Amino acid sequence: METRPVFFRLIAALALFAAAAPMGAAVDASAAERDFTLKVLPLLKGKCFACHGEDPKKIKGGLNMLTREALLKGGEGLTDVLVPGQAEKSQMFVAITWKDPDLEMPPKENDRLTTAQIEIVRAWIDAGAPWPSEAEQKKHREMERTIAATADGVIVPTSGGLSEDWTYRRYQPEDIWGFQPVRQPAVPAVAKATHPVDAFVRAKLATAKVAPAPQTDPRTLIRRATFDLIGLPPTPEEVDAFVAASKQDATAAWSGLIDRLLASPHYAERWAQHWLDVTRYADTGGMANDFERSNMWRYRDYVIRSFNTDKPYNRFVLEQLAGDQLADAAARQRLGGDDAAVAKVRATGDYTPEEAEQIVATGYLRMGPWDNAMVKDDEARQIYRDDLVNNVGQTFLATTLRCFKCHDHKFDPLPTRDYYRIYAAFSATQMAERPLRFLPEEKQEGFAEGRAFVERMLAYAIGEKDKLVDKRETAARAWFKEHGLDYKTLEERKNLPDDQKPARAVGLDHVDEGQLKVREQDEWIWTRTRERYEPMAQSVYDGPDPKWSFKSARELRMPKSINAAWRPETHIFMGGSLEAPGEKVQPGVLSAIGLRVEGAETDPFVLPDDLTQRRLGLAKWIADARNPLTTRAIVNRVWQYHFGQPLAGTPNNFGVKGAKPTHPELLDWLTADFIAHGWTFKRLHKLIMMSETYRQSAQHSQSEKLRNDDPNNHLLAFFPHRRLTAEELRDAMLRTTGELNPTLGGLPAMPEINLEVALQPRMIQFSLAPAYQPSRTPEQRNRRSIYAYRLRGQADPFLEVFNQPNPNESCDARDSAAVSPQAFTMMNSDLVTDRAIAFARRVAKEAATLEQQVGRAFALALHRAPTDAEAQRMTAYVRQMQTYHRGVTPPPAKYPTRVTRSLVEEFSGKIFEYEEILPVFENYVPDPKPSDVTAETRALADLCLALFNTHEFAHLY
Amino acid sequence: MDPLCSRPVSNAYTRRQFFHGLGATLGSLAFTDLLAKEGLAAPNPLAPKKPMFPAKAKNVIMLFMEGGPGHMDTFDPKPKLSALHKSESKLTEGQETGFKFFVGSPFGFNKVGQSGIEMCDQWKYLADPYVADELCNYRGCQAESLNHPEALYHINTGSRLGADPALGAWATYGLGTQNQNLPGYVVMTELAFPQGGSGNWSNGFLPANFQGTRLRTEGSPILDLNSQPFKTREHQRRFLDEMAFLNQQHAQYHPEHRDLAARMETYELAYRMQMEVPDVIDLKGETEATRELYGMNDQHTATFGRQCLLARRLVEKGVRFVQIFSGGWDSHDYLERAHTERIRSVDKPMAALIRDLKQRGMLEDTLVVWTGEFGRTPDNNKRGGVYSLGRGHNNKAMTMLFAGGGVKKGSIVGATDELGLKAVDVVHPIRDLHVTLLHLLGLDDNKLTYYHAGRYKQLSQFGGQVIKELIA
Repeated sequence: METRPVFFRLIAALALFAAAAPMGAAVDASAAERDFTLKVLPLLKGKCFACHGEDPKKIKGGLNMLTREALLKGGEGLTDVLVPGQAEKSQMFVAITWKDPDLEMPPKENDRLTTAQIEIVRAWIDAGAPWPSEAEQKKHREMERTIAATADGVIVPTSGGLSEDWTYRRYQPEDIWGFQPVRQPAVPAVAKATHPVDAFVRAKLATAKVAPAPQTDPRTLIRRATFDLIGLPPTPEEVDAFVAASKQDATAAWSGLIDRLLASPHYAERWAQHWLDVTRYADTGGMANDFERSNMWRYRDYVIRSFNTDKPYNRFVLEQLAGDQLADAAARQRLGGDDAAVAKVRATGDYTPEEAEQIVATGYLRMGPWDNAMVKDDEARQIYRDDLVNNVGQTFLATTLRCFKCHDHKFDPLPTRDYYRIYAAFSATQMAERPLRFLPEEKQEGFAEGRAFVERMLAYAIGEKDKLVDKRETAARAWFKEHGLDYKTLEERKNLPDDQKPARAVGLDHVDEGQLKVREQDEWIWTRTRERYEPMAQSVYDGPDPKWSFKSARELRMPKSINAAWRPETHIFMGGSLEAPGEKVQPGVLSAIGLRVEGAETDPFVLPDDLTQRRLGLAKWIADARNPLTTRAIVNRVWQYHFGQPLAGTPNNFGVKGAKPTHPELLDWLTADFIAHGWTFKRLHKLIMMSETYRQSAQHSQSEKLRNDDPNNHLLAFFPHRRLTAEELRDAMLRTTGELNPTLGGLPAMPEINLEVALQPRMIQFSLAPAYQPSRTPEQRNRRSIYAYRLRGQADPFLEVFNQPNPNESCDARDSAAVSPQAFTMMNSDLVTDRAIAFARRVAKEAATLEQQVGRAFALALHRAPTDAEAQRMTAYVRQMQTYHRGVTPPPAKYPTRVTRSLVEEFSGKIFEYEEILPVFENYVPDPKPSDVTAETRALADLCLALFNTHEFAHLY
Repeated sequence: MDPLCSRPVSNAYTRRQFFHGLGATLGSLAFTDLLAKEGLAAPNPLAPKKPMFPAKAKNVIMLFMEGGPGHMDTFDPKPKLSALHKSESKLTEGQETGFKFFVGSPFGFNKVGQSGIEMCDQWKYLADPYVADELCNYRGCQAESLNHPEALYHINTGSRLGADPALGAWATYGLGTQNQNLPGYVVMTELAFPQGGSGNWSNGFLPANFQGTRLRTEGSPILDLNSQPFKTREHQRRFLDEMAFLNQQHAQYHPEHRDLAARMETYELAYRMQMEVPDVIDLKGETEATRELYGMNDQHTATFGRQCLLARRLVEKGVRFVQIFSGGWDSHDYLERAHTERIRSVDKPMAALIRDLKQRGMLEDTLVVWTGEFGRTPDNNKRGGVYSLGRGHNNKAMTMLFAGGGVKKGSIVGATDELGLKAVDVVHPIRDLHVTLLHLLGLDDNKLTYYHAGRYKQLSQFGGQVIKELIA
């Protein structure tokens, strides 16, 4: 049991004193003494004492601040630190104002006092700087704690902090908005706003005396909506049809367009990408070895299927956090409660498809980067669980749990106890690749070809390794013979004294030694890669902590039997350190939001202790309709992806330091509506998109005024324009050229990436990672970007340069800063050059005259006709480029089938080389290259490339 | 009907007409200039900025020895270890398990120069007093992680997780860069990417402008720097002008969008870089004496030598932060062979770099840092049943060199214990090193912050101290 059920004590104290303490009791004491006790002293403790008194050995500037006397005495060369009655003359006051650049305290930006805090100190000094005795202070504090709400804020009952000061500190109600229950507010009455979204947005606009932007035109609208919902551009034919339909009945056309897009299977590809940004999808484990997590794609496809089938969000949450438990529960029911039979199903993976789907969902619990190379087991476990806990907080609760891992939260009502309660909920969660049959809807296309490729790589590695082993053993045999001893294998001679066996690398020079190491690594890399064709899923199970070896990150398997009686013991790690276990904690939830655990007995925020109920209990609590963090978080995200900006500024952090919501009532109204209508996304999308706010123009007649008054468009006076994301940009190019293979799901595709990067040597533990080899045919390569293989250790440079997020960190909003490497890629890369050639070929095929071709290119890329000026100038440009290209011959593309690598051999410090095979290029089908087409097509491709490079192509309005 | 005509008319009518009136003849350069004059261009985040207080150093060249050099085999002699060589070690630190034994350094040590800086006898060029007396050897730093990628991330970005901005990103964020035609933060790797890859020079949560740009040793120096082989520079210029024309047309309808101007500027910068980068990496103008000085004529030192020379040229051209990675220092076994080779590969080039900077009067303004991600253990375990004469990873002791940029030259700062197991004097964590490096650049880590995810983030994560002993 935990020793300090502070929550109850607080509730009890509040009740007791509320009855007993006479109102206005504090008036008796001097107000200044009270303010010192309640406001000034905590500030001094939090901001000053660490360097000025707490540690007598390290007193900065010789200034001790622990007592009034010490303050009056001052520090090195400072006598007027505190001048009672005269704040402006007190150096400590000057220091906290940061007005003198040589005297700024506390020195950290993060610790700097707010204006309100500075005024508190000023008032105290001006009042003569009273410093009551400990006993007096105690009286003031106890009195204060009886009052739930004062002008200084409210006390938030929690499971209790590490100190009483923390437990009873106060919060401004507007700062803790995210922790308050969701209540659906009434829709404000606003003239001409029939849609609730418009009513809330316009009510705020009216207050600011700004008119909303007019509705935008159909062409802009269909481009906006199509990218928004399916992440692809519309076809020119779709644009024309929508423009025509809008003339007949704009509302019906718009409603029909949304329905069509939501019904498209590509809808889920776009929206799954958002989810994978937050959960940090990658196909490999990152860190020292960057091992492949075979079949991680099954989780990616699960997310896509969930969006396509409009799975209710609460179900989606439960499955990702505890799908394995749900599957076992379903199996248990199916098998009449036979636990042994369930254990057998678990061991063999013989689940029904419905059950298996839920195990695939727990791939979520395997998203973080992890490798235990050179890390002790306890620490490796802590790294995994800390990572998981933090991401669960960011993803589902919009709360950065990492912030209260080492101490009670500095700003939010989140005690470190709650961090470790959630940590304890995952303390029995063990990573594993579990046997799990493929689902009927999981595509197994490409398995045979892929397996053959891996076998080829593996055979090569083994063959090369064997040659070197033979060489070594031949030398070893000779050595034994020479010394008159019997030959012993490497294993047999391992523990012999040095004089009874040859040197370890006998017969091998530094090149051989380096190569042997590389081939050995390659052997297991490809052995491991072969598992991507096995019926397995990256998942977890609940059980005792396993013992790991250095090979564990490449092979995490379930044990044959699980001791269900085992219980993990979780402590608060003081300062986040494994070496400093503090109080023991039970699995539990965040106490600050006051949402009780279903069926909790003694402590309302503690979860069942049972191995299988900890994580499941947490999942249910997170997915509870009354959980304000979960529900607001997801609605806020959906809004953000539609508008490019969220209603509450920091989607991964609703805490005190996150940006406040711009439209809190709208967020709550939408959230309540979302819950009331079954937590479904498609309905929410349509609701938002049917508003006039969504259909506004990106232009505003008062743009100058707005740029000054509302630079971040918090009023939503106009539609926020945005750059396409990296994936949209690539997919849009492929769609425009007609090369996109729209197949859904399955094994990761290997798109062509910059060839220099593909072959760039990359260090992993002991060796170099194998070269990146693209898929063999254009159909295999030119899939949507969400299917591209994601290596944590090697990003696709095209996607990376356009701000694809680093998968080691949860991304709640894409960046879109313009940098020169983007220009290099878009102008010069093989990748975009090939797209321009393909685009030109398509245009040449679909339009006869050059004038028509220019028109067609504009329609495909920009969804509009060129202006007369554009048509004239571009036609002339292409004509002139025809002349240019007739005079040049592009060199044919070359793909190497072997690559020579070099590396520093660790044992000799010398550089050695080795050869790696690239079999995919032996019968590679390249995309059409400049050398394959006529000068006329290359000239047209110059126009196509220019169109891809325009601002208009890459931006949505 | 042309949909463009139905768009709302902006009140920026005059300017719009003005752009329109410029018609088809205006080049994109003039166009972006105009946008700038109109106050429409976004401010350049890489424009040079004043330091927060007078700086000791303006630029940094960081020589990174990936794998973790043995401090007791380079600059921190441990005679006690030689006495204990191959005797059993009962130390419990480090990752090695089973029977462990002490490993004496295979190298002899000398005190060199006027200052008597200590270095092993493999340093032939660095030992020259002209160079050695510029050095400051720091022995008090302690890493945290025992594994390469985490430790690399930690020393390069302040965080073990590998998603935060690198030191060079913070430096350019704080100071901008002098030459707008070159990247402000340049990274060179020797052969392979270090473990952890480009996360080691990432902009993290800072805007992408501050990302380290990798100057490649082979192929295109910057990815896709050069136009396709069948496109001439004139073709490229024409292409940019046509694109600018299309963007101008577009700007008529979106005159207030600053990002359009910013984006067009990146194309112009790209075009200028296409000229400037080949120029700066073209070493033809360097004398034979310089090539020889940097060891470019010897295959052992050619790669690092070329990179050191490039680093000098880049700094000369106004690049703020240059980082060179040299791999292969992870000597778990065959320490003597391996460290001999690694020292040989960097000794002459880095001595040349310091000498060259000094001769050109650049050393005062340029801080040269030499470090690995951690140090090595005094002991080792057996491998394959054999006494492996190498060392494990050590996160409690390491060694660093500094030169120029306001550090206390000719001095040894801090100390490790007699075995080299732990730092015992002037002991500081990595974050203090970060605070100190920023301090030398005139930046206060506590004030060089970026608001991200609800918090003012800083390089040191939570603040740290300046290591005063290092500063002249």
